[in-house]
Amino acid sequence: MDPVAGIGLRAPHLAEIARERPATGFLEIHAENHLERSEAVEALRVDYAFSVHAVGLSLGSVDGLDEAHLARVAALVKRLEPALVSDHLSWSTFGSRYFNDLLPLPYTEEALAVVVRNVQRLQEALGRQVSIENPSCYLGFAQSTLSEPEFLAELVRQSGCGLLLDVNNIAVTAHNLRLDARDWLDLPGQSITQYHLAGHAVNDADGETILIDDHGSRVSDGVWALFADVVDRFGCRPTLVEWDTDLPALSVLLEEAARAASVGGRRAARAA
Amino acid sequence: MPLALRDLQKAFAAHLSGEDQPALVAEILPAAQRLRIHRHHMLDSLGSALAATFPTVQAVVGADFFRRLARAFIGQSLPSQPVLAEYGAGFPAFVAGHHAARDLPYLADVARLDWALNLAFHAPADGRLAAADLAALPADELPSLRLGLAPGTVLVASPYPLDRIWAASQPGAAADPVDLAAGGVRLLVLRRPDDAAFVALSAGEAAFIAGLGEGLSLEEAAGRADTGFDLSACFARLLGLGALAAAQ
Amino acid sequence: MTTTRIAIASALAAALVLPAATQAQGNMERCYGVAKAGKNDCQTAKSSCAGTSKSDSQTDAWISVPKGVCDKLVGGKTTAG
Repeated sequence: MDPVAGIGLRAPHLAEIARERPATGFLEIHAENHLERSEAVEALRVDYAFSVHAVGLSLGSVDGLDEAHLARVAALVKRLEPALVSDHLSWSTFGSRYFNDLLPLPYTEEALAVVVRNVQRLQEALGRQVSIENPSCYLGFAQSTLSEPEFLAELVRQSGCGLLLDVNNIAVTAHNLRLDARDWLDLPGQSITQYHLAGHAVNDADGETILIDDHGSRVSDGVWALFADVVDRFGCRPTLVEWDTDLPALSVLLEEAARAASVGGRRAARAA
Repeated sequence: MPLALRDLQKAFAAHLSGEDQPALVAEILPAAQRLRIHRHHMLDSLGSALAATFPTVQAVVGADFFRRLARAFIGQSLPSQPVLAEYGAGFPAFVAGHHAARDLPYLADVARLDWALNLAFHAPADGRLAAADLAALPADELPSLRLGLAPGTVLVASPYPLDRIWAASQPGAAADPVDLAAGGVRLLVLRRPDDAAFVALSAGEAAFIAGLGEGLSLEEAAGRADTGFDLSACFARLLGLGALAAAQ
Repeated sequence: MTTTRIAIASALAAALVLPAATQAQGNMERCYGVAKAGKNDCQTAKSSCAGTSKSDSQTDAWISVPKGVCDKLVGGKTTAG
């Protein structure tokens, strides 16, 4: 697979991208930001491939998916015909309340059955495969019986979904839960459809260092190194550089994406 | 005995909502410290979403005061669905009833204008009437037409000079004071191709548009306006603004 | 048709045949425009972890006073009721 890297399409950059049409591998949008007003995004389809990244489907909700929201996401996917559709291994809704956070799941057989059922419903509604992203975790549950990579591998096996491997999230979760990032290299590589890269913040919480997945800076050296290991292990995939907080000039974002593509290309060439 | 997923999510949700601390144990730390990260994120991110939807309210009261107002609202009214552009419908009424805003009696109207602009921006593009759509119609059929307002078109009336308050709240606005006694306004909020916007209306125009919004015919709505009302100019203006709905 | 109705019909019809430049006036008249950015994101707020051992400042104490453009808004009735 060619080393392709893309960027997140954010509102402050929209006019510049529409005018300049800079070269980049693909554009990613958050589904929930474009359910109603999507014509400016649709107008870019002639020049760019799209990735639709949902943030609010709440695939870990014990009560199943919000069918009204699912129908709106399905309509957007139909209009945009993106190359990839994804959401996270997390939950955000309980009862009728939406918490606007990607909340962690216990990695148990019970939770696995819930996520498998919800992912199957999503794939059925969209009529296509979706990819599920490993989350950034700040806490783990004592009752978990599976590791996150084991949980993801079983999810793939039982639902037929793809994996969106967020390399920054691996680094954040491994640090915060004192796990080994290399554990994620045991994932079923053939199921990985996309990589994500992003910057994180290093915060001090009462004398203890916690990494916060804030998407607010360049990708850290440690994450670039882990990305190289990931590409060595699984090969090239389309790679997204995410930047949401303190959004930089478009040129900076394009530079980071170009670096991701060159790392991917170099490692894959060496492996060949 | 591990918590069933439903009980775990219920307990987690209760914590996020500011209710009881759940009996959860994290593997590394006492859960409370790590759970707070999620609660802080929820409050911060929903507060940011409200600030983006109500930028004029925030400019009027400042970021610190707005954050407190937003947190009080979030505490009693979490989103019921995931699209944050649709969160905050109850905020203007909340502001109207909040003791902290009692010295700022215009603040709820400012919130209504912000909410109307937000709705207009996200309204569908189609369904707008153009003059050419009516060209083939015999003139004597025009008075009985019932047109209605295009998606996102809303009339916001206030006894305060909302347009001047809005202008004074924009980044880089002059430091000139705004006279709150300058009189009320009737603003028509509407969707445009690249943004949402508002224009000021005369009393007659506002009465005419309010009539159309209630489902009156053009003739009946014109009867609502005062004597100085220029029907021809107003109808042309509304068509030019794309404020009217395509005939059914 | 009554005289009034004829007057209304011709006023409405006149609006439809105004020169294109006048009809496009809506695009040129003084509007105050607002564009909105997306609000749904998937990152974690940087400040989420600040002061994890402290109270989460959920107090409704209102120790702060408005410090925005409201200082410029003067005159008229400044309190409700």
